Order: sequence, then structure tokens, then C-alpha cells
Amino acid sequence: MRVRIYRFLVVAVSLLVVSAHADDKKPKCTTPPAECERIIRQMLSGRRYLGVQLQELTPAGLVVKSVVEDGPADRANLRPGDRFMAVNGKPTRDANIQDFKQILTDAKETGRLWIIVQREGILKKIELRMEPYTKAQIDKIVAQHLAEAHAIAAAPQP
Amino acid sequence: MRRSDRVSILVPFLIISIGLGVLAWRSYELSARLEDGVNTLAMQYAGYAADITARRVDSAVRNGIFDASEEWQQLERKTPNPDSAMLEQWLKSNEWITTAIYVPDSDPTNSIFVSEKAADNSTAPKLTREFYTSSGLVRYTYDPARLVERVRPVLHQQPLMQRSETEPQAQLAIVSTPSRQGEARLTEGFAYVAPLGPPLQGYSIRAFVRTAYGTSGWENARYFSIWVSVVALALTALGAYLAMRGLKREAETMKLRGALIANVSHELRTPLSMIRLGAETLKRSSKLTEKQRGEIEDAMLREVLHLSHMVENVLDVARMQNRSTKALAFTPVRPRDLVTSLVSTYESWIKSRGFEIALQVEETVDEQLWDRDSVERAVLNLIDNAVKYSGDIKFLAIALRQSAEHVVIEVRDRGIGIAAADISRIFDPYYRAQFSDTQTRRGAGLGLTLVQQIMVSHAGRVEVESTPGIGSTFRLLFPRHSASATEPVPSLNVLPEIGSRS
Repeated sequence: MRVRIYRFLVVAVSLLVVSAHADDKKPKCTTPPAECERIIRQMLSGRRYLGVQLQELTPAGLVVKSVVEDGPADRANLRPGDRFMAVNGKPTRDANIQDFKQILTDAKETGRLWIIVQREGILKKIELRMEPYTKAQIDKIVAQHLAEAHAIAAAPQP
Repeated sequence: MRRSDRVSILVPFLIISIGLGVLAWRSYELSARLEDGVNTLAMQYAGYAADITARRVDSAVRNGIFDASEEWQQLERKTPNPDSAMLEQWLKSNEWITTAIYVPDSDPTNSIFVSEKAADNSTAPKLTREFYTSSGLVRYTYDPARLVERVRPVLHQQPLMQRSETEPQAQLAIVSTPSRQGEARLTEGFAYVAPLGPPLQGYSIRAFVRTAYGTSGWENARYFSIWVSVVALALTALGAYLAMRGLKREAETMKLRGALIANVSHELRTPLSMIRLGAETLKRSSKLTEKQRGEIEDAMLREVLHLSHMVENVLDVARMQNRSTKALAFTPVRPRDLVTSLVSTYESWIKSRGFEIALQVEETVDEQLWDRDSVERAVLNLIDNAVKYSGDIKFLAIALRQSAEHVVIEVRDRGIGIAAADISRIFDPYYRAQFSDTQTRRGAGLGLTLVQQIMVSHAGRVEVESTPGIGSTFRLLFPRHSASATEPVPSLNVLPEIGSRS
């Protein structure tokens, strides 16, 4: 009984401390907002993405966990549950995520990928290319950072 | 002295010079080789140190970058869904990263962006790197200057272990945008600049090895050996010069001594033969009148006086040069009595030579402490010179006077005078001024030497004024002692008194 009270007290105090800490750090980013926006746009402009989240199987193998809506993978008809058997001619039956990222890095020049997936026991060939972030996506990231770190409400998008 | 003898004295100096030259050349060569060796070693070590350190810095940079990504992966493994606080923490622990953005694969629009640094040095170039994680992509910018600071501790370690102080030691530094790479020979040593690999392409490692030989001047052993040999050669040359000069002097004295022997033997022989002639005449000729006999006797007596005068001169000079066998006897002397009695003694002889005497004696001259014989001899020598070196105008003036500090005896003639070149040398022993008829005048060249030595022993000096063709004036200046002073002046005791002359 006593132990439970103590535990409760400890949790309450730590919560208080955390919340106070959070209050103190309301403007998290010390860089001027305009500078932040410039840097974000610079870092993301031209960056290409695939729009797919993978999951590692045990003991090995890669399976699509989720697909970003209206992303390149979505448009190429990649679905959750697809297992990657080969990417760009490289077998990925026993690969982990790091190996796949390495293949992505190697294909950075062209941005083209052709993937052989196994869907419900059937092998399927899927061709897709990485696409740059759209302006709307970048705007959203900027607005999110400004709202989160600088406490500035998102400007109305034109 | 023969010419070949003079040259032969130079042989040892020549040998010394050649030896010194060989030694200096050998030492120069050795130190030059040593310097070459040291320089080569320094150059090679500089290059080695720069290259090795550059590779070490490169790997330290790579390790730093790799460690940062590893750290992020660790964090991500602990927390599957990264938030901005986590990114901030990562940024803090890697102080060289300025901004970072995390883009998750699942939802790119949910990216986190953290900018740690205020817009401090916005002009400095920022580099961008990225790495994939299991759930997304991290992209960050960083400041290469801060990364350099992070790896700077690598520089504190020498590439080679230094076993002794003589082994070269490199000063290592990270320099940005060097003007040139590779080796450079500086005044104090060698520098080698090795470029760093990516991502620090703008930076280089500069290794500087200081060499003691790099400097010029006294510290450099090579130049030092040259300087020492130059000094040694100069000293040798000086020694040779001094030896040559000594030899030349010696030769001159030898010449004068030879002349003296000729002179003295001639001078001795002439009065002796005159005396012998007179004595033989007196003995053989019984028909001589009383007057003729008297003349012959006078002539003999004169020659004897002359002979004894000269012998005394030679002996006195020798004695006074040795300074030990004869002492001067300083007794109170009235200068006036001395001069008048001297003149009256030799008046007849002087007049017989057709001279006119003008005697000027101040009555009030104080009594002085002199060696009477010496002073008389000095004055007599001056008179003798005046008589000997006079031409057609036969005039002799003797004066005695005193000034505030001196008692002066002056002997003036209107004779042939002394050339300016000779005046400085007439007091040298055996020296006789060169005239067209030097050989016809009798003398040994010792008179004025004796006069000078007598004056020195009396703490006085001799002054000469002379114009060739018009006449000469010799002044004997004795220091004056007031009448009350009876004690001899201490400086007069230079010559030890061994006994008084009768």
C-alpha cells in the first residue's frame, strides 16, 4: 500500500517536472523562423522520396508496412504486405533495411527502381521512380516546424 | 740579411696558413654534408608527418560522421517514433552539426526539423550529409570548421615516437586553403603541406620541421667554420707582417752597427796616427824651434783630448744603455758656473776653428741637482756638433736661462742644419744624417744619443729646431728645482747609485 503511494508520488513529481520543462522550452528553435524556412526548403528541394515504409521480417526479408497516400509507391501500385524479392536485379530475399537503403543510394542517379514483389504467393514486377517532394508537402513541413518550434500559426496557403 | 733568409722566415707562416686552409675546407665540407643530411631528414620527416597526420585526421573525420549516424540509429531503436526533442538531443551531442531534418518513410509530411545554431557565421560554407535509417532519412548540415576543431586533438601526437631530442619533431597544424601544397624550404626549416580528403577538401595538414642549420650567420656551423678560419688566416698574416718588420729593423740596426765599426775604427786610427806622427817628430828632430815644438805638443794634446772624448762617448752610451754599471752622482751644481767654466775650457779650441762665440748667461739661475760630468758632456757634445756641422758662417751661441718650470741650456749655430726627415732619427744610436760629405766629418754617430740619454736620466728633454742651410738650435730642458729643495727628486733615483765618480 505504502509502496503504491510512493510510486504515485514519484510519477506525479516527474510529470510536473517534465511539464515545467516543456513550458520553459516553448520556443524550441533559436534560429530565426525565416532562416529555418529557408534551410528546410533548401534541404528538401529536389530530394526524391519513395513513399513506402518497410518492415523487416524475422529472420530476414523486407515487407511493405505502409504506403504513403498518393506517393510514388502508391501510384506504382505497391501495396502493404508485398514482399521484396529483388530490387534492381539484386536479390533482397534475405536483405534487411540497411541493404535496401544502400540500393536506394546506388540508384540515386537515375531514381528508377524495378522491384520484384511477392504478393499473395504471386511474383509481380513493379517499376517506379522516386519523385521529388511536392511544393505542398514542403509547405506543410515548414508550417509544422514553425508551429511546433516557433509557436507561429500556419500561414493561410494561397 | 740576405733576401732568401727573409723569405725563409715566411715558410712556417705559409705552412700554418695552408694547414688552416685545409682544416677550414675539411670542416666546411663536413658541416655541409652534415647539414645536407639534417635537411634531407627534416624534409622527409615533414612530408611523412604531414601525410600520416592527414590520413589520421581523415579517419577521425570519417569516424566522427559514422559515430553521429550510429548514435542516431541507437536513439531510433529506443524510440520508434522520433520527435523533435530527440533530434535536438542528437544535435547537442554532435556539436559540429548545425541543422538536421528527419524525414520518416511512412509519412514524409511529418518531418522534424531542428536548427541548433543561431545564424552566427552564415558566410562560412556549410556542408550537407545524409544517411538512411531503418525508418527514414536524416539529412543534416554541418560546419567544417567545427568538425576540424573536433579532430584537432589528433595533432598533439607525433607520427613517430621520439626516442631522443635530436630526432626531428614536426609542428603540426590544420590550415585552410593553403597557397600551395607539397614541400617548401623555409629559412628555419622545412614545411610540408598535405591535403585532407573529403569532406574537408578546403583544409590541409601543414607539418613544419625546424632545423638548426636553416639559419644563416653565427649559429650555422658551416659559416662559423669559415669565420674562424678567416680570423686564423688574418692572425697568421699579422704574424708574418710583424716578423717581416722585425727582420727589416734588425737589418737596419746591423747596417748601422757596421757603419759604426767602420766609423769608430777610422776615428780611432786618425788621432792615433797624428799622435804617433807628432811623437816621432819630437823624438827624431832635434832642430825644432821652441815654437814648432809647442805647436806639435798642442796638436798632440788636442788629438788626445779628442780621442778620450770619443772613447768616453762610446763607453757612456754603452753604459747608459745597459743602465746598470754606471750611476749618476747628483750633486748641487750652479748651472752658471758649469756653463762658463765649460766655455772657458774649450774657448781656445773653438776659436782655433775660427768660430765666434756669443755667451748669454742669466745670473739668477738657481742651484740644481745635476750630475756635473754628464751635463758637461751633453753640452760639449752639442758644441762639438755645432763646430762639426757648420759651413762658411762660423758662429756659435750658448745661452743659459730659466723659465718657470725649466732650466734651459741652448746651443745655436748657423751651420748646415738638419733635414726634416732626419730630425726624428738623429737621436738613434749610430745614426748619422746624410750629407754630401758625411764621410769627411768625424764622428761615431753617438753624440746625440748620449745627450738624449743624459737628459732622460735628469728627467728632462732635448728640443731641436733646425732649418737646412740656416742653422740648428738644440735646447736642453732640465726640470727646475727651487733653491730651497735640497733633496733629490725621487724620479732621479732611477739609476742606482753604486758609487760616485771621482
